[in-house]
Amino acid sequence: MNAMVYTDAAASLSGVAVRRDGFAFGPVDLEIPRGLVTAIVGPNGSGKSTLLRVLLKLEPCEGRVELLGEPMDNVRDEEVKARIGFVAELPHAYEDALTPEEKAKFAANWYPGWDWERYRKLLRSFDADQARGKLRKLSKGMRRKVELACAMAHNPELLILDEPSSGLDPFAWKTMLEELHRFMEQGDRTLIIASHITEEVKRLADCILFMHRGKVLGCYEKDQLFDEWRSLVVQPAAEAGSDWLRKLPGLQGWAEAAPGLYRLETDKAGETQACCQDQGCRILSVQRMELEDILGCLIRREERTR
Amino acid sequence: MWIPIQIDENRPEPLYHQIESQLRGLILNGQLEEGALLPSIRELAASLKCSVITVRRVYQDLESEGLLRTRQGTGTFVAKVDEQAKAGHRLDRVIEAFERAVEAGLQHRCSQEELEAIFRDIVRKHYPQEGGESE
Repeated sequence: MNAMVYTDAAASLSGVAVRRDGFAFGPVDLEIPRGLVTAIVGPNGSGKSTLLRVLLKLEPCEGRVELLGEPMDNVRDEEVKARIGFVAELPHAYEDALTPEEKAKFAANWYPGWDWERYRKLLRSFDADQARGKLRKLSKGMRRKVELACAMAHNPELLILDEPSSGLDPFAWKTMLEELHRFMEQGDRTLIIASHITEEVKRLADCILFMHRGKVLGCYEKDQLFDEWRSLVVQPAAEAGSDWLRKLPGLQGWAEAAPGLYRLETDKAGETQACCQDQGCRILSVQRMELEDILGCLIRREERTR
Repeated sequence: MWIPIQIDENRPEPLYHQIESQLRGLILNGQLEEGALLPSIRELAASLKCSVITVRRVYQDLESEGLLRTRQGTGTFVAKVDEQAKAGHRLDRVIEAFERAVEAGLQHRCSQEELEAIFRDIVRKHYPQEGGESE
């Protein structure tokens, strides 16, 4: 499932590593496909934001980064960045004293593709066109809306969002999803989004990239992931015992749920079920696993190999 | 355009299979008529909360079966389907529903006789007085 083959990568990293006191990121080798939404998922401090920042060379790192087919090697970085939109995890302090209009004017100078009409449309759609005053005086959500509109106003080829929905109310959140879908509708755009909101990942992502402690645990096609990872409750035949359960294909975790009943987690649902049936074991329930439970399994698997 | 596809998260069939068989059913039973414009890949993926990779695969499969055709730049349409093919698949969804009902019976350890009795009762409830054999 890991071996996704795409002809074209929006971003590729090889041997990328960041070493700072108390934090190790990488080495990461990774390709993020063009034309798709890739969601980056992981616990706090797992390196999601660092990954996004090294993509944009906002953080010094070892290794090689390519964006939109161009190496990020300082020579043409500015040109490449003009084709990218970015919303950082936290607002930039140096923008505190700017009004939304001033921030937009600043961005408009920066991006050749800037489109004032698109910017105003986005602000209206986010219900933020009335926002006046300095950015630091705006509510967190309102400031977020202005940042999103600014990041999308030049219709970037690659949009990178770091937890974009933080501070948004549920209505604004829905609007954001609609705008992002509309953005992706163009077909050749790429969105990379770090998120810890399961529903957001489910609704937006085509691929899911899991991170933990600065390492990539895997990158999966979303639907295959949820098709294959399931939790089962099974009842082995009384005479068969439970030892054979440990050898089931795809087994990721198991526990006795009640006397004689076992809850299994598998990443090969079909094979696991077929094998249970061969052993005369009753399958009482089969459910898709939640994103956070899958992440939990991947983390446990990673820690066992360390 | 809204398409009545319903995903059952807990069915064992993979997502693309569920979407593909339902869409095929809608075309073969005539609910989606020849020439109907389907949603774009991203649009359908968003409404089903699945990935564009899955929808692209479904559209490609049904196109190679001759049920859909894609016109560059305009979108994906329902193709002309011959009547014979339609007749052959008329009952597909019904058969599928029965399969699920029997699976539920097996899970509750129903015997064949019990299942058949339940089936007869339900049919009698929904098709009253047919054949006039009561009394």
